Amino acid sequence: MRRQTRDLGFTLWGVLVFIYLFAPIAVIVAYSFNTGRILASWQGFGFDAYISGINNDVIVSSVITSLQAAVGSALLATVLGTLGGIALARARLGTWWALGLTGLLATTLVTPEIVDGISFLPWFVTLGVDADLTWFNNGLVRLIVSHAMFSVAVVTFIVRARMAGVDTSLQEASADLGATPWTTFRRVTLPIAAPGVMAGALMSFTLSLDNTILSSFVQQPGYTPWPVYIFSAVRVALRPEVAAISTVMLLLTLLALALVGLVLRRSGESSTDIVKTIVR
Amino acid sequence: MAERDHRVRFLAPRSEAPRIRRQLLSAAGPSRRAFLTGVGLAGLAGLSACGQTGRMASSPPADGEIEAKLNLYSWGDYDDPEIISEFSDTAGVRVQVDSYGSNDELMAKLAGTRGTSGYDIVVPTGSRVQQMIEHDLIQPLDLTRIPNFANMDPNFTHQEFDPENRYSICKAWGTTGYVYDRTVIDRELTSWQDFIDAAGKEASGSTAILEDPWELTAIALASMGEDVNTVDEAILEKAKTIVVDDIAPHVRAYMGNAAQGMTQGGLSLLHAFNGDARQGLLESDDPDRWQFVFPTPVANLWMDNWCLATGAPHPDAAYAFINHMISPDAALRNVDYIGYHVGTQGLKEEAADFDFPDIIFPEQEILDRLVPSEEGAGIQPRVEIYTAAQTRSSA
Amino acid sequence: MKRFAARILGPGALAFPTWAYVVFFFVIPVALVLWYSFGYKPDEFTTVSMEQLSFDRYSEALTSSSLATFLATLRISIVGTIICLLISIPFAYWLAVKVRPERRGLLLALVMVPFWTNFLVRTLGWQIMLSNEGFVSKTLQAIGLSDGGLDILYTRTAVQIGVVYNYLPLMILPLFVAMDAAGRHLREASYDLGAGPWKTFFTVTLPLAMPGVVSGCLLVFIPLNGDYVTATVLGGASGSMAGQLIANQFNTAQNWALGAAMAVILMLATLIVVALGGLLLWALRSLMERLNSVRITPPEPAVSEGSRA
Repeated sequence: MRRQTRDLGFTLWGVLVFIYLFAPIAVIVAYSFNTGRILASWQGFGFDAYISGINNDVIVSSVITSLQAAVGSALLATVLGTLGGIALARARLGTWWALGLTGLLATTLVTPEIVDGISFLPWFVTLGVDADLTWFNNGLVRLIVSHAMFSVAVVTFIVRARMAGVDTSLQEASADLGATPWTTFRRVTLPIAAPGVMAGALMSFTLSLDNTILSSFVQQPGYTPWPVYIFSAVRVALRPEVAAISTVMLLLTLLALALVGLVLRRSGESSTDIVKTIVR
Repeated sequence: MAERDHRVRFLAPRSEAPRIRRQLLSAAGPSRRAFLTGVGLAGLAGLSACGQTGRMASSPPADGEIEAKLNLYSWGDYDDPEIISEFSDTAGVRVQVDSYGSNDELMAKLAGTRGTSGYDIVVPTGSRVQQMIEHDLIQPLDLTRIPNFANMDPNFTHQEFDPENRYSICKAWGTTGYVYDRTVIDRELTSWQDFIDAAGKEASGSTAILEDPWELTAIALASMGEDVNTVDEAILEKAKTIVVDDIAPHVRAYMGNAAQGMTQGGLSLLHAFNGDARQGLLESDDPDRWQFVFPTPVANLWMDNWCLATGAPHPDAAYAFINHMISPDAALRNVDYIGYHVGTQGLKEEAADFDFPDIIFPEQEILDRLVPSEEGAGIQPRVEIYTAAQTRSSA
Repeated sequence: MKRFAARILGPGALAFPTWAYVVFFFVIPVALVLWYSFGYKPDEFTTVSMEQLSFDRYSEALTSSSLATFLATLRISIVGTIICLLISIPFAYWLAVKVRPERRGLLLALVMVPFWTNFLVRTLGWQIMLSNEGFVSKTLQAIGLSDGGLDILYTRTAVQIGVVYNYLPLMILPLFVAMDAAGRHLREASYDLGAGPWKTFFTVTLPLAMPGVVSGCLLVFIPLNGDYVTATVLGGASGSMAGQLIANQFNTAQNWALGAAMAVILMLATLIVVALGGLLLWALRSLMERLNSVRITPPEPAVSEGSRA
């Protein structure tokens, strides 16, 4: 009997937390049907915001920019982070470069984002205008490079955690069997690291999609990512279009999650394992 | 002082040269290096060896062929989106609008990116136009490409900050006042003194102040009966006391646009630009609750201006856009949307049936007492007052 | 030849691209900005000058007024982290222990969903909910729970609610993983040995979940301390955080030297709190160990006593 009440208490708590987690999202979804001009003052029910949001070139292109930057920076961060993670996992304890890299990456994590933002802008300008590396004048390149910087540490640590428990004898065996280092890397090391790599890529994709502070410093017109569009709209009158597009993106995310879940079930990995790899 | 021998190169109209030289030399103290690090260019001097730090990326020449894109960097919600999309459709130009909350933000962005900001049109306030010319942040306009310039009311062209309209064309002008909730403040407020008084009494904890150091300081200066542009340290010190002790403790929020604050609720006294207050009234469920005041004895008369950013990648589209925005029809509809006079001819007569016309077009006696803000030497102490006020409010 | 290749592909060389990237795109630009903290703002048109180096900006950044904001920020982040922890411990326990395993994946994905909706959009949802004219406020008034409606938006409470909300999933996930790893068998062993549910939780589950608690706290505290978007949207005049103070110095006041000094102080404060937290945890843990450990005396307490240490 006591056990049952306690379990009921836990379930109640769980439900409450879920309500807390979803309340503001529900509000945004509800207000996306507002026909008024300002998001927060409800005028009536309708799909106006969806129609004008999807027909608004600027909004659509900002969402596309966000997706492009997220894919680009996830790729870049994943490549760099995988190399770094594998290297760190293999490093002998106390090697200077391993300690240094770990320290630096940890520093990137504790640096307030605003400091990154402030530092990046003049640096990109120096590279682009003074050093004539003109592709640094491109808004998308700036977004990708800066976002990747932000998530390299995350990917590296995830991959290192994944590789830490792996026996190095597997790689030695591969070498003994006559494989070149490249083959070993490709056929043995990478497959072992794969779940960590996937988790890291997912994380850096999310971080980039969500990034506001850093992007607002380095962004350029024509390459305004979605969160920066919202952030500048916050200061003005916020329109229901923002809520409508967010709702569409939420639905797409849920769809993507469901797909990922399905694929994982097929391949025999549980979502619990993926989450574990992410946060370990 | 040996530093003065180094040459600093400027791209500026010949007529401006003596003034720029004067500014450079009279700044008495800052050496070339300190000057070069100018707004936002900081520290890069140490990086680039040849002292070409001030270099700006340049704009492609306007060749009469309208580009497919245009990037506008302006104050938030400052143009009717419908007019913009009309322009997009007819001219075949995709217009990207980004917004900033202060002139400082605009200048930091332009100076920091040195011509690679990507923006074509920017909309600085008149009080900053001189500074922006000096720092090569905006480039001269070719008025022959803006035929509708003839449509401008001569009262709003040839302003003191740009006598020949070489760099700027009036975008909109307005003044500053405040709006209060009559259900909370049950008496008539008319002056800045009343504002401070109400903030301390009925509206304590529900007052909103504009995110603008000059405007905040002007409340105190105007209530003291002083010149709102004063640079006198003793007077500013007194104004600081008023701001920090009599206003700041009662402030609920510092915001850029009063309209949002009026619809969100929880605020009963809002420092506001006239057009924003009108927009708030239009959005409000119960507009009769609110009262807008053009306060005595004095307030800001500001003018925002269309300018072409240095390094603008789409100059032809920019000219076409400005020309479109000041055409009689677009201008009139924009007034209804933003609630500010946009400086074209005959607006007051044609706009008579708009909502709250008296807020858009203040009476002559009100206009007579307004003073344009000056943001030169006096801005530093005002920023300090503003920072002190914000800190006091959060305590 | 093979040896040479192995060297090239050895761990140090593998790490080279990451090293180079971090140095080129983090160390150099950030070090430059931090270097500015020793400079000063010579006049209104200049953001920073490095002609006279000094620590003056640091003392300026620590004057009573901005110090108050720094302390308020620390309070918001520490309280926020603790609230997140308190919400998450029972929740993660429920998820890892009580919920049926086949449902766990779905619920876990649901925890991630807010994380996938834009940070700002979520905060705006709170802005609407907390607003005085919002529907929550009106409902409360209608059922007579509140007279004047909600009076939370633009206060420190609003910021506190917002930050707890925004960083909560970052606490739940590692806690869940750690509690899940603690395993059913150990708990059952504890029950078999006669420990009640509370005792089992505090002596078995929680200590085993400690790594999760630590990483959750770090994941929440560090970004929270530097956050200023939540405070901008919900905070108003009284809920300002150090991040805003820094952003103002760079964006509005154009005083890069002071802004950089404030940023350094914020980073140091973050590190100090993390170190103190670690110390506290270490002390707690050794205390717990002393209290809970069972001393098994060796059968022959002979001469080897001294060498055991």
